[in-house]
Amino acid sequence: MAAGPLLELAGVWKRFGREWVLRDVNLSLWPGEVVALLGPNGVGKTTLLRVAATLTRPQRGTVRLFGRPAGRLEAERGWLVYVANPPAFYRHFTGLENLRYGLALMERPRPERELRAALEALGLPPEKPVAAYSSGMRKRLALARARLLAPRLLLLDEPETALDEGGRAALMDLIAEVRSRGAVLLATHDRAFAERAAGREVVMG
Amino acid sequence: MRRIVTLALRDLRLELRGRAGLFAALFFLGVVLLILGFALGPEKDDLRRAAPGVLWVALAFAGSLLAGRAWAVEVENDTLDDLLLTPGSREWIYWGKFLFLWLLLFAVALLLLVLVAGMFYLPLEQAPGLLLTLFLGATGYAAVATFYAGLVARLATAQLILPILVFSVVVPVILAAVRATLGLVEGVPLGEVAAWWKLLAAFDLIYLTASSLLFPFVVEG
Repeated sequence: MAAGPLLELAGVWKRFGREWVLRDVNLSLWPGEVVALLGPNGVGKTTLLRVAATLTRPQRGTVRLFGRPAGRLEAERGWLVYVANPPAFYRHFTGLENLRYGLALMERPRPERELRAALEALGLPPEKPVAAYSSGMRKRLALARARLLAPRLLLLDEPETALDEGGRAALMDLIAEVRSRGAVLLATHDRAFAERAAGREVVMG
Repeated sequence: MRRIVTLALRDLRLELRGRAGLFAALFFLGVVLLILGFALGPEKDDLRRAAPGVLWVALAFAGSLLAGRAWAVEVENDTLDDLLLTPGSREWIYWGKFLFLWLLLFAVALLLLVLVAGMFYLPLEQAPGLLLTLFLGATGYAAVATFYAGLVARLATAQLILPILVFSVVVPVILAAVRATLGLVEGVPLGEVAAWWKLLAAFDLIYLTASSLLFPFVVEG
């Protein structure tokens, strides 16, 4: 892995239709950093996370991850985990099946007992379909998946919403764990949470 | 290769659990066969001569219902991003989705072959040739349908646009498959039928190569 920033956005502009959502955004995320994006709804926090995750291509500017241009990522994409809000899962599958297939397709298969243990540690029933999970349980399932994928760069979109106290504690553990080997970029409205979780805040809008 | 098979089997499992697309296609097949059976009357020769057309019309239209299923599961669950964030070149996603649709389409084609053989006197002594034609036809259809379904997956009008896009490109495959099937029904020399098989194989190769190479560029949001 490169010794420079894990994520580097330089002069990024993004528009949807005629509306510019991001204007000349510059941001670097270094190993060991947790950065919070703060700002009201519609200011472009999610768009910025999606650009950083290489899911949305900006009209102008450059995005580099792990020292490589975003368009040239291959194996490095496996070092990145993006947790959307709300997180997406296959509703007809159980929590266990979602983890099993999710990890297999990321080429990180884990033994079934580890997957069960990860679910049970977060109080999630492995054999229950995700359709029957509450929104808080889906958030916890996303945390379990992120932990098992052991990313170097973790992108979190409003991760604290829908989580109870236990879920927030698990979230803080995950952030600390990823920070020890990489970096975290999160978007939130909650300034108190941002102050608790992040070492640096970027206010948008 | 393992990821491609895992993705295809996972999608099959989801499809069988959700059932909506497969049931719709099977219901549609039943209706088409019933209507054409009534329309053509009881004469064995008429039915047999119409059998290749019936087989491929039913399969083409059932295929148009199944075509979107490869991506519908991602759109319905909002999980397309997770697939795009998997490591490596994104071509493997195309091959996984293609394999899923091909397995689904070929399974429907086998059922259809039995039904058409029973109702329209399709000669089952020609089963190896018919199976080869179905194999080649389903491959070409699935290659094109997987590509276009991925292209329009995020559009609200995907269900309307997809059949138009697929049929406009896949017509040569359907025509070649009908001619090959007709040749087998009429008992023409195998050399003549083989010319259609070669044409089908060439279409398959072109469509699969072009689609898998172009796919990574069209699937990004």
